Amino acid sequence: MELLLLILLMPLPVFGVRANDPIAGPWQTKEEARNLECTRLGQSRAHELHPDQVPAPPPRGASGVTDALSCTQRFMRYGERPDRDEVILSSLSQTVGEITQVASALGSGELTWHVDAFYPGPAVAAKISVTARTQLAERGLKVSDRVPVLAAGDIAVLGRMPPSKAYPLACARYFAQGVLEERDAFLGLMIVDARETQLHAGLCMRGEWRWLR
Amino acid sequence: MRSALLSLAFALLPVSALAEEPTVTEARRAQLESLRAQVAGQIQLQAYDLLDELVFSWLEQPVFALDTPVVLADVSVPVGFGSGLQALIENHFAALVVKNPRTRVLLAHCPQCTSVVVHSGAKGTIISRGVDEPEALSTAGALSGSRHALFLDFEVEGAALVLRARITALEPALPIVYAKTLSTSTSSAALLRTADRLKSATEARQEYLDALQGRSLYLVPVRIGVRSYAAGSGQSIAIPPFLWLQVGAEAPLTQARAWTGSLSLGVSWMPQLHVGWMVQGRISRLLSGSVTSLTRPDLYGFVGGSVLSIHGLSALVFQDQVLDLRDVTSQLLGVDPQALFGAVQLGLELRIKNRMGASVFVESLPSMNNAPSIGRYVDLGPLQLHSLGVEVSFCF
Repeated sequence: MELLLLILLMPLPVFGVRANDPIAGPWQTKEEARNLECTRLGQSRAHELHPDQVPAPPPRGASGVTDALSCTQRFMRYGERPDRDEVILSSLSQTVGEITQVASALGSGELTWHVDAFYPGPAVAAKISVTARTQLAERGLKVSDRVPVLAAGDIAVLGRMPPSKAYPLACARYFAQGVLEERDAFLGLMIVDARETQLHAGLCMRGEWRWLR
Repeated sequence: MRSALLSLAFALLPVSALAEEPTVTEARRAQLESLRAQVAGQIQLQAYDLLDELVFSWLEQPVFALDTPVVLADVSVPVGFGSGLQALIENHFAALVVKNPRTRVLLAHCPQCTSVVVHSGAKGTIISRGVDEPEALSTAGALSGSRHALFLDFEVEGAALVLRARITALEPALPIVYAKTLSTSTSSAALLRTADRLKSATEARQEYLDALQGRSLYLVPVRIGVRSYAAGSGQSIAIPPFLWLQVGAEAPLTQARAWTGSLSLGVSWMPQLHVGWMVQGRISRLLSGSVTSLTRPDLYGFVGGSVLSIHGLSALVFQDQVLDLRDVTSQLLGVDPQALFGAVQLGLELRIKNRMGASVFVESLPSMNNAPSIGRYVDLGPLQLHSLGVEVSFCF
């Protein structure tokens, strides 16, 4: 009987250690573990952020563990927002950052940048365009908050065309109608297929459309 | 009859299940709302933190050279959150700007800027927000002197909250004159700075750490303690407890206060009985961890040595021999008896944030092993414990 009790009690220290472990186990479900975002931090940075849990690094250095895994719950858990929106929004800064980096490298000269996003949800579309405008402005480019618009007839025609043809034609129409001029650049961010979760981007300058991604 | 009742019960089962469904849904909705409120609470604090950082950056590097009216044109919250969070953010931002005039941003009231306006011109009729069509506002004379619009956009990206702020000049081209992106550090708690004395994140965090870790490396502990001595064998009169007041200095011997050392002077006074002096040194070792805790009390074990000098009648207790004629004569002549002896201490101290502490200790008086008036609480042969004591300490 004592042996059985001993065997039952033996895993307890292991469970105790795993109480703070971010992986799924007896203390948290797979769903909870999936909603954690973890970053590995150096001990001094971890101490700075969590002084009550991580001690300051010893002045003479340490031979043991010198880093910490800092985990926090996602603000919006998976499933709270539509999946496509969640994927787009979770990596918004990074994705749009890559796009604006390429775009700003291509747009030479003193240009005024205009940005618009084409996404089924208007709230998410606004987030995408705001991110792009802010990032372009932070790069020191001249950015306008004004969104170029086409006439209703143009939009009706463009809406019936496949994206691969619609965006280049829209670019040409912007230029033909004088909505965009020589010194204007238009950066469009969009999803081409309603089922995809990757942002595409194109640049319209002097009536010519160029896919960036 | 029984079969009929059973049939009726089976027939009613799906109906009862349907009847319960709305209750379950309501409970789930309530649970979801409760969870969402918790998340919103966290987001609100993080959003405040980002706003503090934004306004602090304006204090350090103002966007405008002169005081400039600015319309708060739009505050957008993360997708999935509602207008409640938006209102909280607006209020906090307004409070920050009002309390920090050095930002040179003056919030202007322009209801038309955020409303939908209809403007008919040569190019046609345009329906848009006021800030998106400044010509319409200008024509209507609704700009109230403000020529700039501020947009604050918050979005959740995984575990980080991102603020994108931009200021647009309200002129036909709508140029963005200022843009800044701020993001919360991974999993760091909001700093909760006060609105009227904004400081940088580094300074705020350092203040927070200072508050947690204590005021400085060196402390001045004031200890009030009571020592009681075991009565000697065959003594019918108990020795009264000695009350001590000690003041000293304490210094950490390691950075994490795992080891500390202190030196103190003490005084004890009992009317008509004694005046006592004490010099005491202690070395303490943290037992409850490798570093002092910032959130829980710390337990220290300590050893110390002291030299005590007692003047007055109470000193007679600390004689290592039975009273003889010389002692009685001295007393009759008005010469105060005195005793000088050493003590070794061993104890435990529970300390709260280097501010308050309570300790219990035992003392051995090596020179009193043969004293007839002093007994022993514990006799371990070479080590005899003659005294028990408790102390409370306040550190300054």
